[in-house]
Amino acid sequence: MSELKFSHVTVHFGTGRRRITAVDDVSLVVPRGSILGLVGESGSGKSTLARAAVGLAPVHAGSITLDGDPVPTRGSYRPLQMVFQDPTASLDPRLTIGAAIAEVAPRGLTRAGRAAEVARLLELVHLEAGQAAAFPGQLSGGQRQRVALARALAGTPKVIIADEITSSLDVSIQGAILNLVRDLVAEIGLTLLFISHNLAVVRYMASRVAVMQGGHLVEEGPTALVMANPAHPYTRQLLAAVPGADKPKGTP
Amino acid sequence: MTRVQKMLGTPLARTAAVLLGLVAVLAVLAPVIWGRRAETVDMTGILAPPSAAHWAGTDGLGRDLLARVLVATRLTLLLTLEATAIGVVAGFLLGAAPFLLGRVLGRAVTWLIGMAVAFPGILLALFFAVIFGTGAASAALALGLASAPAFARLCQTLVAGVLARDFIAAAQIGGVGRFRILFRHILPNIGAPLAVNATAGAGSILLSFAGLSFLGLGVQPPAYDWGRLMMECLQSVYVYPLASLTPGLAVVLAGLAFNLTGETIAHSLGIVTMSGLRGQSRRARAASRPGSRRAGPTGPASVRTSGASDWPVVPADVELTSQDDGAAALLSVRGLRVTFPTESGWVSPVRGVSFDIAPGEAVGLVGESGSGKSLTALAVAQLIEFPGRVAADAVRFAGAELTDGTSHRHLLGTSLAMVFQDPMTSLNPTRRVGAQLAELGRAHGGLNRRAALARAVDRLEAVRIPEPARRARQYPHEFSGGMRQRAMIGLGVMLNPRLIIADEPTTALDVTVQAQVLDLLASIRRRDGVALWLISHDVSVVAAVCDRTLVMYGGRIVEDLPTARLRTAAHPYTRALVAAVPTMTTDVTAPLATIPGRPPGPGELSGCAFAPRCPLADDRCRAEEPAVVSAGAHRVACWHVAEAVR
Amino acid sequence: MSPSAVLQNRWVRFAFRRAGRLVVSLWVVVTAAFFMIHLIPGDPVRGALGISAAPEIVAAQREALGLNRPLWDQYRRFISGLFTGDLGNSILKRQPVWETIAVRLPATVSLAVPAFLLALLVAVPLGVAMAVITRNGRARRAELGFVGTSVVLGTIPDFLYGCLFIALFGISLKWLPVAGRRGVSSYILPVVSLAIGAIAILARIVRVEVLAVLNTDYVRTARAKRLPAWQIYLKHAVPNALTATLTLSGMLLATMCVSTVFVENVFAWPGLGQTIVTAITSKDFPVAQAVILVYGAGVIIINTVVDLILALLDPRSAVSEG
Repeated sequence: MSELKFSHVTVHFGTGRRRITAVDDVSLVVPRGSILGLVGESGSGKSTLARAAVGLAPVHAGSITLDGDPVPTRGSYRPLQMVFQDPTASLDPRLTIGAAIAEVAPRGLTRAGRAAEVARLLELVHLEAGQAAAFPGQLSGGQRQRVALARALAGTPKVIIADEITSSLDVSIQGAILNLVRDLVAEIGLTLLFISHNLAVVRYMASRVAVMQGGHLVEEGPTALVMANPAHPYTRQLLAAVPGADKPKGTP
Repeated sequence: MTRVQKMLGTPLARTAAVLLGLVAVLAVLAPVIWGRRAETVDMTGILAPPSAAHWAGTDGLGRDLLARVLVATRLTLLLTLEATAIGVVAGFLLGAAPFLLGRVLGRAVTWLIGMAVAFPGILLALFFAVIFGTGAASAALALGLASAPAFARLCQTLVAGVLARDFIAAAQIGGVGRFRILFRHILPNIGAPLAVNATAGAGSILLSFAGLSFLGLGVQPPAYDWGRLMMECLQSVYVYPLASLTPGLAVVLAGLAFNLTGETIAHSLGIVTMSGLRGQSRRARAASRPGSRRAGPTGPASVRTSGASDWPVVPADVELTSQDDGAAALLSVRGLRVTFPTESGWVSPVRGVSFDIAPGEAVGLVGESGSGKSLTALAVAQLIEFPGRVAADAVRFAGAELTDGTSHRHLLGTSLAMVFQDPMTSLNPTRRVGAQLAELGRAHGGLNRRAALARAVDRLEAVRIPEPARRARQYPHEFSGGMRQRAMIGLGVMLNPRLIIADEPTTALDVTVQAQVLDLLASIRRRDGVALWLISHDVSVVAAVCDRTLVMYGGRIVEDLPTARLRTAAHPYTRALVAAVPTMTTDVTAPLATIPGRPPGPGELSGCAFAPRCPLADDRCRAEEPAVVSAGAHRVACWHVAEAVR
Repeated sequence: MSPSAVLQNRWVRFAFRRAGRLVVSLWVVVTAAFFMIHLIPGDPVRGALGISAAPEIVAAQREALGLNRPLWDQYRRFISGLFTGDLGNSILKRQPVWETIAVRLPATVSLAVPAFLLALLVAVPLGVAMAVITRNGRARRAELGFVGTSVVLGTIPDFLYGCLFIALFGISLKWLPVAGRRGVSSYILPVVSLAIGAIAILARIVRVEVLAVLNTDYVRTARAKRLPAWQIYLKHAVPNALTATLTLSGMLLATMCVSTVFVENVFAWPGLGQTIVTAITSKDFPVAQAVILVYGAGVIIINTVVDLILALLDPRSAVSEG
């Protein structure tokens, strides 16, 4: 179990007059062995913060640490893994799912050891070990997202970042993926940064929640507390915007 | 279907491939068979017209022209392949440079490629011809280098396209090395399009090579290729005008063989090509085809008594008719079906939908992607295009029967408004927003230009767009997403509509903007007494706005109920759908309810569409389409209504 | 300030940026043309005059071309020569290259521009009509016939059309002159030879573009407004399809200017195309260099003009580009 810590992180894009500050001085701790929900609307910087953590976006100021050490973004062992929104895009169509998972598995395993690891991971996400030879195109959206989860787990990560992992799935599939992620966190003792625009989903998944707006972190606290008693006006606005949240219906 | 079968699926592709094979065979055999004949000089029969001895006539030295054309196949083909190889290799190195060289150098290379592709290939070829001089090898080098920028641009686009995809990011995060990414992920994903484009490109290079030789810049005598033969024929054009036809025909056929082989394979594999020759219609058809569901025989289900005594049973295809013929309704739909042709026959994504919307009522339509909900909306609005087909027992709107074959343009233009999902693409990017609203006022409201524009500004204000007069003069790209959706709603209320059909109007928007747009729709409905038909995949959105909800699954409405009763719905699918989505009141300590399996795919429809995923399903569910039973305002299509309610 | 003035301003700003790019591009072309001579393997003067030429003559020619000076000095002189109209002298004819260009360029332009206009006039209406007829997979036979014909016609090279027309209309039927540039009738065959392939290619592209636009959400919006069909096509579909077509037609005009090289050689047309072919085969490098320079500059100027027109027609392109 590990703790992921963002200290005064700032990320810019572009230069000169067109420079945009996507993340502005954000400090945030994902406590070990728990799920932190990160909510915000498009352009709030929540995804950029995640991409900065795994080295996909440049960090211009501040630091991102894992148990006090900088997150390695080079080398073959990466203790921080990420699951993306669209499993169709995040799995190479030309690689079998077994190969995609094995590619990230620890180096130095024998061929048989690798196959066993792939089988173990597939079963962990409730797929059959025999499906390792399948290509992503042969699976359903929900199954592909399970493969993406298994690939992230293959890297024996200490922390996983889940970026809108149910947004591109059909509503009837979503629940199963959310249940699976919750079970995995409880079973393996993962630390999880769960990013979503959907407050109801975050409320269900996370023990703590952080709210971002326009690159700033505006509020952070235990989920139940923030949802019941939002301190920042923007959080109140977000809560009020959830469809059906104590608002008069549009009936005449 | 194997890959090869798929690639050579059309007769055109097969013809092109056979032609290409023929050229290759000729290149190997022709010099062996006709080599001597092509060199035999006959001064007694120079520039002879076609005859039995010389099918294509003879040249200035009395040599058989047809033999020379056939023999020239080898040199022409070899030079073409040489130039193509130079172009592809140089292009690949340049195109992959940004990935390998890093940002600054990569950008410089990108800029240079961008500049070079702006010049016509012939100009680049002439440029290199000046440097390398005349001759076969020089021309091959010149043409190869001249085609390099185009190949480089292609490689760059392909590499960038692969790099932008999340699986590259996932591999990087997983600690996979740079070269491994290049060989394991990038190359396999660009190999096929590159090969296909190289084939098509070889066709253009063959034609250009013929051009250079024709100008005397390519192959020099005594060697000859097709271009050189054409040049020699032109010199004797006054004696024998059509002599150049034979080598010309060879050039065109071989060029076509390369081009078409490449393009047709690209087409069948769905690969982007440099030329953009790919036909559009196929893509268009694919886009308008919602899934591929086979139309099963769906005759009227027989009337049966269900287990529950308070649910009177109505045959599936004549729902509602006994109680209510929909005469009082604003919109009344009976037995609506939408059918599309596919390669494997006709499929019906919408299979017999019936419902009513009363004046001023807000009705929601909920379903997952592929359930047919958007097609139902388009079909009601008479917007399904060829080759899709709409059939219905009745679609009555505001007293008019829309299926009577006459055009109801004015009625639909004035009384029916549509709001679509993606406000970013639903407004014309090259026309001012005000003009796009005013257009409707002029077409159906009888307004003149000035009055229509004034009305447009007034409507923009009505949908709470600040500074409406200034905004009306702006283009859509100057609006934010939420503003654009307001403008679309403003377009909807330009005249005085009686029904607004909103198809996923907030799916593309942020939550706070979504709340504002839903609020706007609700308030317009309250103020003007307009009926609202809201289509969404999100139960909570529908629940927030609508009085009544229609639930769609597998092309049919499986339940029609007051929104307030959603939590106590009768259909197992509705109940599961409501339970599977976490809300702000979900018990966070219990696991979420899940629905096993996935929505029905091709040919999976017999009996109840939900049966494969339903915990209550029995043999009857799998065999027979459930009849609709109704109790008051509540209608359900399920054989197990009583058990489900319990 | 009125919004239209703001738009004008935005366009003017775009024009300035675009002009800056024009200058840089021109400089690249000039530099490429300059170094072209120096990239020629071996001694270009010896190559031009032949192995038998006396060493004194070769030396004198080297001196006349300035090849003995330091490279930087040659470059400086080359560029300043461009501003004074001094493009050097032809090795073969010993007359200023500038004079040859001044005579030959108009002949080429007078071929390319009519051919381009003819191509646009035929291809755009044809492409739009074919798109409307064959939209959504209607009229499959018409689509197949059109695509098939246009692919074949687009593959046949210009000079082959030229040869065919000479054989058919010039020699067999004796309707039209087959060589030289004398009178309006002498233009017909070369212009048509140049235009016919371009028509086939452009019409196909226009059709694809219009079909793509007909499938957009905003055309669906226009249909939902229940506008008459002609309004949907003329007001919503065609203007959006034309912006893409215009981008391509800039490339087409540039290609046509250079493609004249083939047609000119078929019809003995006294233009730049003949000049450069003669220059390359006879190794008259100053002439070849100048013609390449003129072609290159022409292409860049055409591209710039097209971009500027595009920015006027489509308000987005001025924002997104540069």
